[in-house]
Amino acid sequence: MSDFLLTQIINYGAPILGVIVFIGALGIPFPGTLIVIAAGAFCKQGFLTWHTTGLIALTSVVLGDCLSYAMGHYAREPVLRQFQQSENWIRAELSFNRWGGLSIFLTRFLITGIAVPVNLIAGTSGFQFRRFFIFDLLGEAIWIFGYGGLGYLFGTQWEAVSNVLSNISGLTLGIVILGIGLWLGIRQWKAIDSKRKASGV
Amino acid sequence: MTRTRKRALIIGLIVLGILFAGFFGYRSLLAFSKFRGQPPGPPIAVKPDQAIETDVDLIRDWMTVPYIAKTYGVSPGFLFEALGIPPRGNEEKSLAQLNEEFSPKSPGIILEVVRIAIQARQSIPTGETPKPRLPLPTTP
Repeated sequence: MSDFLLTQIINYGAPILGVIVFIGALGIPFPGTLIVIAAGAFCKQGFLTWHTTGLIALTSVVLGDCLSYAMGHYAREPVLRQFQQSENWIRAELSFNRWGGLSIFLTRFLITGIAVPVNLIAGTSGFQFRRFFIFDLLGEAIWIFGYGGLGYLFGTQWEAVSNVLSNISGLTLGIVILGIGLWLGIRQWKAIDSKRKASGV
Repeated sequence: MTRTRKRALIIGLIVLGILFAGFFGYRSLLAFSKFRGQPPGPPIAVKPDQAIETDVDLIRDWMTVPYIAKTYGVSPGFLFEALGIPPRGNEEKSLAQLNEEFSPKSPGIILEVVRIAIQARQSIPTGETPKPRLPLPTTP
């Protein structure tokens, strides 16, 4: 898949890159990070112009993210009908409104594997669109210009850079999952402990 | 959520987290050790026919002939001639596609011929006329 996409970028340039990152932002599992780093290298080699390419890619990926936010937003009504009275749902909404900005920002470039679910949750939980847009734009700018910049810096060695970054993204996701598991575990353990103390056991 | 389900979720998250972190941590170390010591790519070519890259091991089969030609500072015509393939209609095809079309019984041969042709070109001192033609093995 990535080989085919790379050939198309060489042949048709920035518009194809825009289409790829747009579709990727809607949840189709494209190797987005690899493509962005490669595009940076192609800019260095003179096949693409960095400013036009960067602008097209950034606009496309932000549009894709906004669309997946909108999908979540329009799914809000049926979800609310189901869970409106649920205490867990209210807690989850409050929690996302508190930490959502950071989640949106970090999942744009560091834990890209869960970017689409975060967009959908942002839309469903009623996270303010203006805030979503700002955090999304900032995060995606780092993804496009930061990762693309690494491709530009390392030129034809971009494959090695991409390999390191994609593995670091997986490692970060693992650390986040482990962290959530440990945090829930400690909370559970504390709750049990305080119940025991209260009952005098 | 019942206590048993909660406990199962917590254990599941911890196990999944350890597996993910372990697997990608190991791969990150391997990738980083490979990457370390690799210098940043060569500077941008000044003249249009100047090579951007000289290492032929970096040629991949998703690349097209014009892309390789520009990267390695040779003319696309030179590479097409070396391959014995007409340029017309084949400029947007990757080496893998060309291989499938023109030499389906010898996988990887197009990539190899391109590498050899560029190496041959690099070894020729400036001023001499290169002899690029490296005929492909004929398929019965």
